[in-house]
Amino acid sequence: MAFLKMEGVSKFFPGVIANKNVSLEVDQGEILALLGENGAGKTTLMNILYGLYSADEGEIYINDKKVFFSSPRKAIKAGIGMVHQHFMLVQTLTVLQNIILGLKPKGYPFIDYKKITNQIKLLSNKYGLAIDVYKRISELSVGEQQRVEILKSLYREAKLLIFDEPTAVLTPQETDEFFDILQKLKEEGHAIIIITHRMSEIMQVSDRVTILRDGKNVVSLKTNETNPHELSLYMIGRELKDDTTKNDVKTKGELLLSIKNVTLKEKSETKLNHINLNIHRGEIIGIAGVDGNGQNELANIIAGIRKCDDGEIVFSGESINKRTVLERFNRGIAYVPDDRHKDGLVMDLDVSHNLMMRSYKKEPFSKHLVLNRQSIIKMADNAIKTYSIKTPNTTTDVKLLSGGNQQKVILARELYENPELIVVSQPTRGLDIGATENVRMLLSEMRNSNKSVLLISADLEEVLILSDQIAVMFGGQIVGIMNNDENLDMQKLGALMGGHLDQPSDVQEQGILMGSHLKEVSKQG
Amino acid sequence: MLEQMFTVAFLTTFLTSSVRMAVPLIFAGLGETFSEKAGILNIGVEAIMLSGAFFSFAATYVTGNLWLGLIGGMIGGMMVSLIHAVFSICLRKDQTVTGIALNMFILGATSFMFKILVNNNPDFPQISTFHKIAIPMLCDIPVIGPAFFNQDIIVYASYVLIILSTLFLYGTTWGLSLTAVGEHPRAADTVGIKVYTIRYLAAMINGVLGGLGGAYLTLVQLGVFMENVTSGRGYIALAVVIFGRRHPIGVFLAALLFGAADAFQFRLQAIGIQLPSQYLTMLPYVVTLVVLLFSAKGSSDPQSLGKPYIGDAR
Ligand SMILES: Nc1ncnc2c1ncn2[C@@H]1O[C@H](COP(=O)(O)OP(=O)(O)OP(=O)(O)O)[C@@H](O)[C@H]1O
Ligand SMILES: [Mg+2]
Repeated sequence: MAFLKMEGVSKFFPGVIANKNVSLEVDQGEILALLGENGAGKTTLMNILYGLYSADEGEIYINDKKVFFSSPRKAIKAGIGMVHQHFMLVQTLTVLQNIILGLKPKGYPFIDYKKITNQIKLLSNKYGLAIDVYKRISELSVGEQQRVEILKSLYREAKLLIFDEPTAVLTPQETDEFFDILQKLKEEGHAIIIITHRMSEIMQVSDRVTILRDGKNVVSLKTNETNPHELSLYMIGRELKDDTTKNDVKTKGELLLSIKNVTLKEKSETKLNHINLNIHRGEIIGIAGVDGNGQNELANIIAGIRKCDDGEIVFSGESINKRTVLERFNRGIAYVPDDRHKDGLVMDLDVSHNLMMRSYKKEPFSKHLVLNRQSIIKMADNAIKTYSIKTPNTTTDVKLLSGGNQQKVILARELYENPELIVVSQPTRGLDIGATENVRMLLSEMRNSNKSVLLISADLEEVLILSDQIAVMFGGQIVGIMNNDENLDMQKLGALMGGHLDQPSDVQEQGILMGSHLKEVSKQG
Repeated sequence: MLEQMFTVAFLTTFLTSSVRMAVPLIFAGLGETFSEKAGILNIGVEAIMLSGAFFSFAATYVTGNLWLGLIGGMIGGMMVSLIHAVFSICLRKDQTVTGIALNMFILGATSFMFKILVNNNPDFPQISTFHKIAIPMLCDIPVIGPAFFNQDIIVYASYVLIILSTLFLYGTTWGLSLTAVGEHPRAADTVGIKVYTIRYLAAMINGVLGGLGGAYLTLVQLGVFMENVTSGRGYIALAVVIFGRRHPIGVFLAALLFGAADAFQFRLQAIGIQLPSQYLTMLPYVVTLVVLLFSAKGSSDPQSLGKPYIGDAR
């Protein structure tokens, strides 16, 4: 008798079959991985289970009793907790306030802070979820926010926990900590469903895997009886190509972008501190480093979204300090920002409009200030085909697309005018392996056709696979630049990422630890 | 001139009328605070107050009972606020435009209804107002005593309301739910908070309190109703909310400041200062602009202020 059973669940959206006759089950003390391409219907299925959507067909059973959740409130009552892809936390409230939100806790309607703090302490000790309950969410790191989400579910006595791409935004260390927590949860008898695109994670933590393709069940397997290769075969229905990212042209070309002594200040904080970086044609430079060490600011000053306070940026021999975003784009600098919802897309516009957003002033998309609908649609149709964007049609709002397909829309737009340099930030975050492979291929194709790529990624594996050179950022500085060849010193790389520049003995140890972690990652890649 | 202004007597009357001027703003500001905390930007406060002023007057005029007048004012305010709520919550119309339309509409509607109401009465209709009640001990404090503790029952009600609102917003789970609905309605939804219900409730509170604020104008300050009796106080209440950072106590202090500006210009007129009265009547509105200029923009705005919530979409 499984704790949760979903049977024959279907969900239809206008023009899309998100789920068709899907079944899965998970037991207490078991971790089920849900695998599938972008837009396969994983999030939709979990939203149904959590009562956010209602299924058009099918049944849900908990402990063999048929249930129907018309709202999350009912699902929570039945012991289901969900940690969403985008956290559902109120930034201005404290950890404690978020945890008790919507409940009738001790002292209702007043808030007995002391008693509740003790209750939360008990939980966080049991599961190793250390957190300061009086801090505001806005002061917490992503990893900490995730812990709050978990505590929120546990405080509601959730027996089944759903995680939608929990590791996509975590650093490697945070991911390790998260997996420890998962093990604890499992040992305590919770049922767990985890969605992730990373094969290595599935192999590492899950007991069973259920695979969806095009909204339908493909297969359910025991993890220890399968392998990544088989999983991806089931998932995309074809073989992944090998070594698509090899660099054919080993000689790098002329200097394309040169960043000279650039400094950026925000209020009194120095975000970028005397950055020097050269990018040549036919080269991918990877920026490694823990998120939030100035990578975004670097991308922004190259794309022109922010202007640096000091220093100079030279592109193709011309200083572009004073150039606007559009002027820079027209000179061949494209940019894929890391936050697609906030910076990359206009969520309330449709696919075609988002695709033409960079080029709408040019013919044939517009002439004498009038848009030419036909040519826009034609371009959009082409882009949808070329990048296999999954969408009902060109006039669907991008907010209705799955995360991975939204990313493809941005890439299609940025690459449309054949840029000379593309700055990409977390380009494969949330993308399935097929799409990830495609994006990486696109980037290495750019290099091979004598263009340049600046790759910013929190995923070290990705940086190691793609880059010719790796620059490490820490505290707004570039603390080291190394060639990514067989002589790459992983320990030094790890130490630099941790901010240990001169490596005294105890720090060195930590660096070595990190380094060995990285080696493992690079082997998997 | 200056000597005239710095006597105890002057300060006492000035402060007393500051408090009286502030009361409508306190009520309306508190109401709008609830509304905005829940994410609804209702700039139709002027309409709410005007409707409250009219219906409170009408009810008292017809029945001769001040308490029924108060109830009439609350209902009058609530009706307007509910119209705004239906447009912004259910129909997801633009909240600002709806608010402006209501302000225009209620201005005309109340003037029209007032004409019908007093049609057969050639005299200027006057009603009796609430009496002052001195609070023993406290009212003996010099200057502050008479200003704050020798007032009518509605003023005292406003003090109680401020304390209760603070407790409600910052001490109860209800207050948390309200804040969550205004900041991140989807998150509220996922933990089972009924977003629409809470927004409607907040809108009703806004209507009731704004209506009370309007009622205070006619039932206490003036004893009469006239066309456009609020003359922009609803807009000042919006400034009060921003300047008070959506905290009841902040709203109270901000309302006092604007009340003081209003009282000050009346006092100056009473003293007979050599300035056209138009310049003096401008004072509260000038203060509004200056205050808005200096209150840091947006830092306390709820994240989803003014945005409709669509439950079943991304
Ligand atoms: N509210 C909605 N209205 C219309 N279509 C929707 C809606 N929600 C999801 N879809 C569509 O349903 C399909 C499945 O989406 P879903 O988000 O479940 O995919 P996913 O497997 O989670 O993908 P990803 O890995 O990219 O997150 C997609 O094609 C998406 O565009
Ligand atoms: Mg998803």
